[in-house]
Amino acid sequence: MSDSLHTRAQQLLAQSLIEGIAPADDAWLRRHLKDCPECREHAAATNDLLRALRAVPIDVPRDLAARTQMRVRLRAQETAGASGSGLILWGLTAMSWLLGVMSAPLVWRAFAWIGEEFRVPKLAMEMGFVLWWTIPALFAVAAVLHQRGVASNAKRF
Amino acid sequence: MSVDTQAIANGLRQRDPELLDLLIEQFQHRLFRYLVFLTGDQALSEDLFQETWIRVMERGHQYNAKSKFESWLFAIARNLVIDVSRRKKMRSLEELADPDSNQPFEPPDLHGVSALQMLVARENEQAIQLSLLKIPAYYREVLLLRFHEELGLEEIAAVLSTPISTVKSRLYRGLTALKNALPESAPRGAA
Repeated sequence: MSDSLHTRAQQLLAQSLIEGIAPADDAWLRRHLKDCPECREHAAATNDLLRALRAVPIDVPRDLAARTQMRVRLRAQETAGASGSGLILWGLTAMSWLLGVMSAPLVWRAFAWIGEEFRVPKLAMEMGFVLWWTIPALFAVAAVLHQRGVASNAKRF
Repeated sequence: MSVDTQAIANGLRQRDPELLDLLIEQFQHRLFRYLVFLTGDQALSEDLFQETWIRVMERGHQYNAKSKFESWLFAIARNLVIDVSRRKKMRSLEELADPDSNQPFEPPDLHGVSALQMLVARENEQAIQLSLLKIPAYYREVLLLRFHEELGLEEIAAVLSTPISTVKSRLYRGLTALKNALPESAPRGAA
């Protein structure tokens, strides 16, 4: 029997395990294995190799599943809590902006009165009015960024 | 009890704790084995096992039930292994990300896999099992997924995010590497 027949048989054998072979090739391989002790031994060795691969004994630590279940539940609670507090924060921010818009004319009048009473330059009064508006928003942004930082730190391990 | 993929997708979208408990129970052996095969480190595999399930909970809404759940699960675990290996500079595992960039096949340093060695060094078929340690993680991975998990080529390609042709070539080369890693006395099969 020629070497090329053995080579073909061994290639088909590997191919049949990895991606499958056509029925005609399968029939040829079976016939060849029947007549060729060398390739039959090769096929048996391959089966032993794969059986050994499937038999690699790796045991799961006894309490790993239970520990994982608990950790997953805790994380689920944490993230649910974080998303709840995020909603509260956004709600408070929206309410703050609404109240700010509604009270803007009154605040402007108050600033104008203070400006007149204490002879503050108009530019300084306008800047004071802008700061009055932006400082709460800056605090809100700082709070959101802080919250995100805490959440991303918690995700690391 | 097994759950069908659509029920899993629905449950994960709602972060159903009962379903998550069930999945952890059901897939613990397969996931842990996969992680140990990849990392060769039992303690690290335990950490990654827990982290994988946390990601499953957090990103459950991304599972669309079009693929097997285990393919999605293994893909998550694999990405975590790659992240950790990059953070901890574990060169042998970094190759999982792009093994083809390191062309010449070199058996890894056996000192680096002593934990896996301890795990697999049992009496039965010890020679073949130990030879697994001598082949790179990216070959161990495809051999495990194909011949242990019995995933199809397309499913393996989805787990690895690589073309099927790459999966096939890694399988052929993995079988060859495994055969070459066997001691002379052990059976040498097709590759």
